Amino acid sequence: MEPSDEALCERVAKRDEAAFDLLVARYQERAYRLAWSMLRNAEDARDLSQEAFIRLYEAAGSFGGRSKFSTWFYRILVNLCLDHKRKHRWWKLWVRDEGDDRTDPILERQPAPVTDPVDKLSRERTMKELGAAVDRLAPRQRAAVLLRVQEDLATYEIAKVLKCSEATVRVHLHRALTTLKKTVEKR
Amino acid sequence: MAKHPDTDLVAYLRGELPPADRERVARHLEECPDCRQDTEQIRDLLGQLSRSIGQPPEVNWAHYRAELREKLEARRGRRVWWWRPAPLVLSASLAGALLLVAVWSGRETSRGADPFTLEEAAISRQLGLLQEYQVVEQLELLEDLDVIRDLDGLASGRQG
Repeated sequence: MEPSDEALCERVAKRDEAAFDLLVARYQERAYRLAWSMLRNAEDARDLSQEAFIRLYEAAGSFGGRSKFSTWFYRILVNLCLDHKRKHRWWKLWVRDEGDDRTDPILERQPAPVTDPVDKLSRERTMKELGAAVDRLAPRQRAAVLLRVQEDLATYEIAKVLKCSEATVRVHLHRALTTLKKTVEKR
Repeated sequence: MAKHPDTDLVAYLRGELPPADRERVARHLEECPDCRQDTEQIRDLLGQLSRSIGQPPEVNWAHYRAELREKLEARRGRRVWWWRPAPLVLSASLAGALLLVAVWSGRETSRGADPFTLEEAAISRQLGLLQEYQVVEQLELLEDLDVIRDLDGLASGRQG
């Protein structure tokens, strides 16, 4: 039977390198994808997700097992991303959208074969604009949306990651979705 | 009609609300066409969002892990350099030497004259002066910084 994340984390606290490697292998894609969704920059996403693993290694002893390992780890990662965004806000304003290496996977990800090409084009454009609108959300709202939509976290888990109340998460989500709804309605 | 449960709709759709709240939202939705429409829009939007966020550029995971290992080793190396044998012995020797100097100088000072006693003797020599009230009053005046700063000017003015 595969050891649980929590058991692996306990072993990492005792400096078990194999357990650390296993946790990295389990979470590398999720960590990188979440960091990229928040930062929209592959290099930063790579750096910060690796930094999150280093912090995990260093702080494994302080993981008390009170929450799920994934929630605890996401908190480390999301905090790093939010800090990064805060520090680089002025730079972003200066070089707006430079370094935004967002690939456009919409074409590949459209599932159903569409008969009407105009309709298809319109849907693709909506998706693209929606993605761009997510990028423009306030950092904590964006984090809440990504944790919900991408990582499928429950409200109480998002609250733990963002270190706020569940009511605050609901407000973040409501405000974010209201903004995003307006983007879709404009079309 | 009760207050619109705007912020509860996402949690309602996900089935996260406790039974009483779920019941309250469901009852409201039956009565409120606006909130019903909102709920449907949110449901659609959440579905669209998962497709619109997209995927990051590909990563070579073996390379990613190797790079992570290097960073971790570098960090570990930086943290524990002072705990290695050579620096540790050096630090311990330095600390010992400093302790010896501190103890030795403390003993020397205790053998010599007490500086506090000297200070008390100097003050006692001035006691006669301090007992004269007028002199003390003048001293307090002199404590005024402006007066002290302008003393030379006052003197020359008086001469002129």
